[in-house]
Amino acid sequence: MHLPEIDKYAHLKSIFHSWEPRAKLVSFLFLIITISLLHNLISACAGLVLAVVLVFLSGIPFRFVFKSLTWLFLFVLLFFVIMPLTVPGRILFKVGFITCSQEGFNIALLIALRAISIGLLVFPMIGTMEFHKTLKALSRLKIPNRLIQMIMFTYRYLFVFIEEYRRMTIATQARLFKRRTNLSTLRITGNLISMLFIRGFERTQCIYDAMVSRGYKGNLEIIDESKLCCKDFLKSSLIIMAALLLNFSKFVF
Amino acid sequence: MHISDGVLSTPVWIGGYLVSIPIVGVITRKMNPDSIPKTAVMTSIFFVASLIHIPLGPTSVHLLLNGLVGVILGPVAFVSILLGLVLQALLFQHGGITTIGVNSLMMGIPALLASWIFRLHERFRFKASAVIFASISGAMGIILGVCILAMTLVTTGSEFTGVAKYAILAHLPVMVIEAGISGLVVSFIMKVKPEILRSQIHGT
Repeated sequence: MHLPEIDKYAHLKSIFHSWEPRAKLVSFLFLIITISLLHNLISACAGLVLAVVLVFLSGIPFRFVFKSLTWLFLFVLLFFVIMPLTVPGRILFKVGFITCSQEGFNIALLIALRAISIGLLVFPMIGTMEFHKTLKALSRLKIPNRLIQMIMFTYRYLFVFIEEYRRMTIATQARLFKRRTNLSTLRITGNLISMLFIRGFERTQCIYDAMVSRGYKGNLEIIDESKLCCKDFLKSSLIIMAALLLNFSKFVF
Repeated sequence: MHISDGVLSTPVWIGGYLVSIPIVGVITRKMNPDSIPKTAVMTSIFFVASLIHIPLGPTSVHLLLNGLVGVILGPVAFVSILLGLVLQALLFQHGGITTIGVNSLMMGIPALLASWIFRLHERFRFKASAVIFASISGAMGIILGVCILAMTLVTTGSEFTGVAKYAILAHLPVMVIEAGISGLVVSFIMKVKPEILRSQIHGT
């Protein structure tokens, strides 16, 4: 279990790092939605190329990006295994009684291109600023205060409870516990989770009391003084133009 | 259990947002101010717990815990799951950004149902009723979730029928483990700190 480290490279300098968070979020979300609408392979390839270029421009190391996307690659691979076998269509090749269809392969490829480009785009979008700036920008984009608050607290306490879980795992290992496929593993994991709950539950009351004593009344004032300037508009319009071009490219091909 | 970006067709993921946003809106409106920080802290515990892997033969599965979230948090579970999915999409690139709506329905609706099923145990006055109902809720959380997953895949296109069938098959062992864990956790909490279950966290 590792700590969330999406903003590990937020200290770098690039055109994305200096970009005003609100403008960046809106234009990247637009691009992400456009990419999920793409329906032919050539424009989806162009989308992937664009995503790779944007990650490159953001200066975030590719090794870090690919390591974070491992789960996504596995998920996509699953489609490459299942789709060609289950979708009927023109036969690509045949081994024994297993047939692979061209149509199934194409669908899997399209899914892979779209999924990976969107996965890559998250890095220049969110990885180029500290996570609290993302939340502040979202809050200024009129996401309800209660949701923002809850995301902030959850994010904060993730680190606390990952640490807590680590300590508990070390304690179980010190008592020679090894995970296997058996009932006692299930029982011990169950107990471990329950203990996390119980400690957490006791903690929630303390946290709430501490907040009330500091004047918490149910909403959080969010102070954010970032201002939009013409450079931000320029960058956003470039991204939005690229998104529109991608979507209209289907009329060309 | 979550779908990544780029799989579902546009009407399906937009539909997901259209259904889940009103549900979240109603539940967050009804929440007491004091349950905001508490729900958030409980969400982060669920988040950590769902990262735990349990070995299963040669592979391992990670827990989804949506049934258990419903049992412990009550209706607020839906919001808690949405928060978990948002953070998972943004921080770990699991799941997707366009699919947050669909994914929260996939895990949240079973959680709401689980909280309702678990409350039924109060009507049966034998000793293990809470544990049994918790197990049922845990198993139901997985099976209903994967059925919603299969439904969204099939509405996207008939070519996904094969994938949908495999998804359901692959979740059957997860369902058994989840039922076991839910039962065990509830029996442990009943012994150590039963008021957690009675409060149904600071409900709405």
